[in-house]
Amino acid sequence: MTSPASTLALTWVTPVAGAVLGASIIAPLVALWFLKLRRRKRVVSSTLLWTRSLADLRANTPFQRIRFSWLLLLQILAVVAIALALAQPEAEGLGSSGGRHVLMIDRSASMNAVERLDERGRELSEPVTRLELAKKAAKARVRELLGGGWFSSRASDVMIVAFGSRAEIQAPFTDSIPALEAAIDGISPTDEGTRLVEAIELARAFTANDRPDEIESALREAPPAIELYSDGRIADLDRIAPREGEPVIYHRVGQTTRNVAVSTISADRPPDQPDRIQVFAGLVNPQFEPARVTLQLAVDGTVRALTPDPIEIPAAEDRGGVFTPGRAQVVFRPIEQRDNAAIEVAIVEDDDLRDDDAAIAVVPPARRLAVLLVGDGGFLLRTLLEGLPAERFASVSVAEYDAMVEDGTYAGYDVVVLDGAIPKRLPTGRYLSFGATPPVEGLSAFGSHSSVFPRVVRDEHPVFRSASLDELFVSKMTAVQADRRFQVLAESAEGPMVVALDRSDLHLVHVTFDPLDSNWPFQRSFVNFVANAVDHLGRAGDSVVGRTLAPGEAIALKLPPGSSAVELALPTGRTERLTPDAGGNISWGPVPLAGLYRISFATAGRTERDERLVAVNIADAAEARLEPLETLQLGTTSVQGIAVASSSRGALWPWVLGLGLLIVLGEWWYYQRQVRV
Amino acid sequence: MSTAKPLRKLDDLLDSRLMAKLDAVDVVSRKIFSGKMQGERRSKRRGQSVEFADFRPYVHGDDLRFVDWNIFGRLDRLFLKMFLEEEDLSLIIALDTSASMRVGNPDAFDYARRVAMALAYIGLVNQHRVSLVGFSEGRIERASNLRGRRKAAEVAQWLLAREPEGGSGFEPAMRLVGTSRQGRGVMVVLSDFLFPEGFEKGLAMVAGRGFDLFALQVLAPQVVDPSREGGITGDLLLVDSETGVETEVTVTPELLKIYKERLDRLCGALRNYCVRRDIVHMVVESSTPVDTLMLEYLRRRGLLR
Repeated sequence: MTSPASTLALTWVTPVAGAVLGASIIAPLVALWFLKLRRRKRVVSSTLLWTRSLADLRANTPFQRIRFSWLLLLQILAVVAIALALAQPEAEGLGSSGGRHVLMIDRSASMNAVERLDERGRELSEPVTRLELAKKAAKARVRELLGGGWFSSRASDVMIVAFGSRAEIQAPFTDSIPALEAAIDGISPTDEGTRLVEAIELARAFTANDRPDEIESALREAPPAIELYSDGRIADLDRIAPREGEPVIYHRVGQTTRNVAVSTISADRPPDQPDRIQVFAGLVNPQFEPARVTLQLAVDGTVRALTPDPIEIPAAEDRGGVFTPGRAQVVFRPIEQRDNAAIEVAIVEDDDLRDDDAAIAVVPPARRLAVLLVGDGGFLLRTLLEGLPAERFASVSVAEYDAMVEDGTYAGYDVVVLDGAIPKRLPTGRYLSFGATPPVEGLSAFGSHSSVFPRVVRDEHPVFRSASLDELFVSKMTAVQADRRFQVLAESAEGPMVVALDRSDLHLVHVTFDPLDSNWPFQRSFVNFVANAVDHLGRAGDSVVGRTLAPGEAIALKLPPGSSAVELALPTGRTERLTPDAGGNISWGPVPLAGLYRISFATAGRTERDERLVAVNIADAAEARLEPLETLQLGTTSVQGIAVASSSRGALWPWVLGLGLLIVLGEWWYYQRQVRV
Repeated sequence: MSTAKPLRKLDDLLDSRLMAKLDAVDVVSRKIFSGKMQGERRSKRRGQSVEFADFRPYVHGDDLRFVDWNIFGRLDRLFLKMFLEEEDLSLIIALDTSASMRVGNPDAFDYARRVAMALAYIGLVNQHRVSLVGFSEGRIERASNLRGRRKAAEVAQWLLAREPEGGSGFEPAMRLVGTSRQGRGVMVVLSDFLFPEGFEKGLAMVAGRGFDLFALQVLAPQVVDPSREGGITGDLLLVDSETGVETEVTVTPELLKIYKERLDRLCGALRNYCVRRDIVHMVVESSTPVDTLMLEYLRRRGLLR
């Protein structure tokens, strides 16, 4: 593996030709110079003493010591310049050893940072993003690798891979410059995080399989050189180790560090004030100096609040190689908003990465849930559910529920709680069930266990908010087997205790034991669990999506039956047409950029178009750190970054050739001047 | 090359001021030579002058006019009185007219001609027999047996007609001079002695053959030190004025140092050679004033008095 030691300023397209010319001409030139030295003729009385003196001089030294002469110097300079011109120097290049090259271009969020200065600190004519710089440099590199030159016949194959949190091959191995340039041009910016492992594995896999009919030769061939165009802020760098003989070149892009980000946003309706929205925002300062920012709060695009005083964010710290960004939390005064809304918190001040200066949360409308309890006289749950702030609560038997399913009246309830009840079927809806295993595909009961307590609990799941299962003991539990579509939220040594299913048409949280067979009803966590579960299920697949997506994830929604003319409006202003499947499901993605995505559709019998909102926020706070990494540490190998030039790389050889000709002219002038003396 | 104005007339060679000074100077020979004509110089030959030299016994056939009758009266034996004969002195001035003499500023050849003129004038004024020999390419041109002040113009004419050209051919030239001499005497050789074939064989042709020999090595200042103004500097292709041989020279301090060492060695070798053969050697730069050379240096070295 090679590690370029320092920034190289020049590329020699045909270095061998220049070296051969230089070596073959300069030495003979020096020898010839003595032969063709233009001496002035001078008639003297006798050369007797001179010839004898010269003989004496030569007798002492077999070779005359070379003397300084402007003519000789100019001639050598001219030959050197012409030899250099023949080597076709080009600025800001790296050269090539031939073979295959994989150009990996980082298109993560940090690559959208705007650079205003070039690598020498001079102001650019117009600001340009890091991604554009990387693309320009990559295209120049492609021409460098494949362009050849005089006396050059090398043929490199080049592959283009774009990566963010996902990797994508933009162009397989080819030596077609137009195809590669088109592939590079086709790389669009994203707000994704930076993961390189997938990109490297993809390139390696592609390398192994690109010539299946020439396996032998492919195996003998050296691994392709990996050329990385990035700012070096790669999350999974520690998982990458280059293979034997696999060169890695790191083209370091960008130099700005000026950035402050809105890292988190939370917008909720307080339980006691359902008509209001409480907004929290987290700020990150990755710079090593404190920052002061002003925040604005906008609701559906209308600014509703502005922080009265600038918010101080402390400077980042780097203690023993552990980087800790400065953080600040902001709580806005609750705002009046009954309807659903897209809440945006944005930094007013300008910095070099605008994408992370705003975060959006979509808040559902102020609405209370309708809950239906299905069971035969479950006192415990009935009492509990009656105490919840539900809009409507009803309790029916299993037979009544089956009848409601038949006539469709069940759809008036947001959440159905099954208290040991097994209805004939579970239609589209949201269910919380206890004890008896509901009739859902992929979930089957096969016996029972006794004396069970939980071992693994996914505490981070919303249903376990303030609901610890540490004290739970279950005397009797149904043994169930759940397939991969189910998510196990709590598990004992004997099997799942709480499972969840999130299908587009069915949302289910199932507790595999009757609470009365445990000590759970005597614990506060039970009440919280039931309330959390009802709330979680009630919001799932709601008219607006409360959950925030990260760039790189996909939008998946279930639209009302009969929805048509579905359109997705992107934050960039572009609109895409989507076609829902038979069940009304739509999916689109992965979403490239952060921002608000609006899905609008027409429904039968309504003139107004309905709308769904999806907020996409940059999830990776590490992307906010713009300071490019000088050196990549890949396993035990350090790869020094090579600065990517913001200016276009130009061929220097015409200038060098011109200089050579000028020197020849100067030499001729000097000679003429000398012989006229 | 010389930038001085060319010599055109006698005054250019010898001005009247120097001429007047030279009137009181004579050539001195360290040896006594027999002359051809009766002159103003004491000869080894016993002759008819009033200066008594010796006696010798009379032998048959002697001129009875020289018998010392007083001694015959006292001793009754015939002795012949012998008198020193006063003869003229032969002054031979050999001038190197090879191309190599046309060098420097002041020009070495012009300087040599001025010196030759001055010496010849001294010889003419003192009623010596003056011969001028110009040598180049192994050939000689001569103006022989000039005597008397009136011949000064002829000497000047001859000197002004000389133009340096070709190689020196020192040895054959000196052989010619040595074998065709018209009488022993003082010989002054005016040359740079920078002969590719060496000076030894040439001097050997005239040394030890009855000449009182003076070797005046005339060198231009730029030959003595090429780094002087108008000298040799830089990257040059030197062309030998005599042979046309081209030599590439890049003048460096190191080379200049070696050059001067070489010149010193050459002059030293000539001096040693001359000392061994009783030849007076003298190096003179063409920048030295002629009157200083004549009235000081050559007097000091015994050529003039």
